[in-house]
Amino acid sequence: MTKIWRETGFVDNDPWVIETDEVKATGEQKPLLSLDELIAKADESNDVGLGVLIKPADDVRRLEPYLYRLEIVAVAFPAFNDGRAFSHASLLRQRLGYTNELRAVGDVLIDQVPLMQRVGIDSFAVSNATALKRLAENRLPAIPHHYQPAVRDAEAGKGYSWRRQAKPAA
Amino acid sequence: MYRYDEFDHAFVSERVEQFRDQVQRRLAGELAEDAFKPLRLMNGVYLQLHAYMLRIAIPYGTLSARQMRMLAHIARTYDRGYGHFTTRQNLQFNWPKLSEIPDALADLASVEMHALQTSGNCIRNVTADHFAGAAADEIADPRPYAEILRQWSSVHPEFSFLPRKFKIAVTGAERDRAAIQVHDIGLHLKKNDKGEIGFAVYVGGGQGRTPMIAKLIRDFLPEEDLLSYTTAIVRVYNLHGRRDNKYKARIKILVHETGTEELTRQVEAEFASLRDSELKLPEQDVEAIAAYFAPPALPQRAEGWENLARWKKADLAFARWVQQNVQPHKNPDYGMVTISLKPIGGIPGDATDAQMDAIADLAEEYAFDEIRVSHEQNLILPHVALADLEAVYRGLVAIDLAEANAGLITDIIACPGLDYCALANARSIPLAQEISRRFGSSERQAEIGELKIKISGCINACGHHHVGHIGLLGVEKKGAELYQITLGGSGDEHTSIGEIIGRGFEPDRVTDAIETIVDTYLGLRLDPSEIFLAAYRRVGPQPFKTALYGAAAEAA
Repeated sequence: MTKIWRETGFVDNDPWVIETDEVKATGEQKPLLSLDELIAKADESNDVGLGVLIKPADDVRRLEPYLYRLEIVAVAFPAFNDGRAFSHASLLRQRLGYTNELRAVGDVLIDQVPLMQRVGIDSFAVSNATALKRLAENRLPAIPHHYQPAVRDAEAGKGYSWRRQAKPAA
Repeated sequence: MYRYDEFDHAFVSERVEQFRDQVQRRLAGELAEDAFKPLRLMNGVYLQLHAYMLRIAIPYGTLSARQMRMLAHIARTYDRGYGHFTTRQNLQFNWPKLSEIPDALADLASVEMHALQTSGNCIRNVTADHFAGAAADEIADPRPYAEILRQWSSVHPEFSFLPRKFKIAVTGAERDRAAIQVHDIGLHLKKNDKGEIGFAVYVGGGQGRTPMIAKLIRDFLPEEDLLSYTTAIVRVYNLHGRRDNKYKARIKILVHETGTEELTRQVEAEFASLRDSELKLPEQDVEAIAAYFAPPALPQRAEGWENLARWKKADLAFARWVQQNVQPHKNPDYGMVTISLKPIGGIPGDATDAQMDAIADLAEEYAFDEIRVSHEQNLILPHVALADLEAVYRGLVAIDLAEANAGLITDIIACPGLDYCALANARSIPLAQEISRRFGSSERQAEIGELKIKISGCINACGHHHVGHIGLLGVEKKGAELYQITLGGSGDEHTSIGEIIGRGFEPDRVTDAIETIVDTYLGLRLDPSEIFLAAYRRVGPQPFKTALYGAAAEAA
């Protein structure tokens, strides 16, 4: 059972669906389009509020002209050890200036969630039992001291320019 | 040497607790082994042939006496009383219990050490010239830059799940003692015409089953761009490195398949967007880090010259040791001492807890509290007054570590091989021991001169056989161990990959083969100053092939 988690808690009635041969978006649901589908659809319509799924081998920079029409970008972790989506997320946030929802889908595990947050991912499609349990208890295995700037807003760490410190919880 | 501030202390203890939580979940069955594996590897914990293995980082090879004593303590408390210094400036313990590893890591953290990123598909422990800060030929000390890279790469959110491991080495002298051209990124410190510090940047070197020499992609990278340029390289690698085949996943294959020119273009394009980011290094921060590595104030000890001459005359063994294991220091009253961890017939790189404690004492008393680990599996006391050499030597004799063989034929690099390693096809240690015994006489070693033998028990090349003047690679053929010999490799500023000389040798014939090669060299060298490598480069493989395989090989 996959649930969507954001820092504010689990999300009900999330509309985004990764379509397959068996699963199609129905009613209120909306499909996460592939990069090519998204570009085709955006080029032939004026639709806004679109969603796209970036696969590891995709060039995320191709999204640049369409960013203002996107409501969500999902980046795929086909396996927890395929780390390309960390770079996709960094590029989307830092290079392309994308500000709407950025979701991790695929093999999302609790120990990777803090790293995903730091590269700007703010929504997580989670099915792993331990991850669901820990997120429900709000027990993220994050550490607050960072040795490098990243996407997620943080305070300057004491000492050197490259250090950052997580902001205390509000 | 670098001292942790509050930030560093907080970071390493948070990291220990984070790992303790992961270990508890693993032991409770909440975390499957395949998901635990990358997490434990990033904390230096391997699962080896017989047990877990803990690999401790010794960043850029620098240790204090207090840290060395803690390593001895860990050897005694959590292991079997010894540790193994590796070619990557790490220390490995072979027998810890998983449940006790978080405690060992907490002990390490108490002396500003850790096991972070000594394994796994992340940016590994950054290595550097073991003579940094002391060598006479140094342009700039590489350690401040290695420390900045160490910090920046620690738990990097974008680069913790790379296609494969990623190794960076930094050197700051004319002679490359960090083997930078066989690393994923090699940085060579230099000064431009204006006297500014920068780096020549090499990418895509490596050993293993596809050995490659790194390509120069930047002749002079300004100091302030170190982190942005490195980020650009690693990002290009993370996005485009091959993930379909573990054996083709290193950046050397990406460089090879993409072409140096195109890869450079991609890196430069990425760098153009990053260079004015938060990653730009402020001069005052570089200076602040560099201040930690300021050389110790070395008092004048001119009396050492006279003492040394007298001691050498009185004790031939001491004279030999000074000749071989003491190198010139920037300061003429001092020397750099190599403590050979290659006693004749011993296990290369191993040291007992008592030896580690004794070395810590010597470092404290005679060497300004500094110890280095070299990529050749030896220890170094980088600043020793000539006037104290005799005392240091006596101290080393007492713990059986005064072998006068640095750089000689018995100063062998060997990986742990089939005795410990889950990957190995053949043993390395017994072979190193046998070669060491065969050539153990000091007269014979002196006659042969500089000769680097490097032994790997499998294709992964942890023993760096590709860059050995004589390299030995253990392979498995039909259930039996066989050793392939390569000649002419070198890991210095003139890096070369050794050439396979012919069919392999059975374990009991390897040492004879080495002897044949050595005798052939002695017969053809121009004079004793022409070392093996130079002679090989002059004459090529044929005389060695003929000597090993007979005249029939000449046609081949």
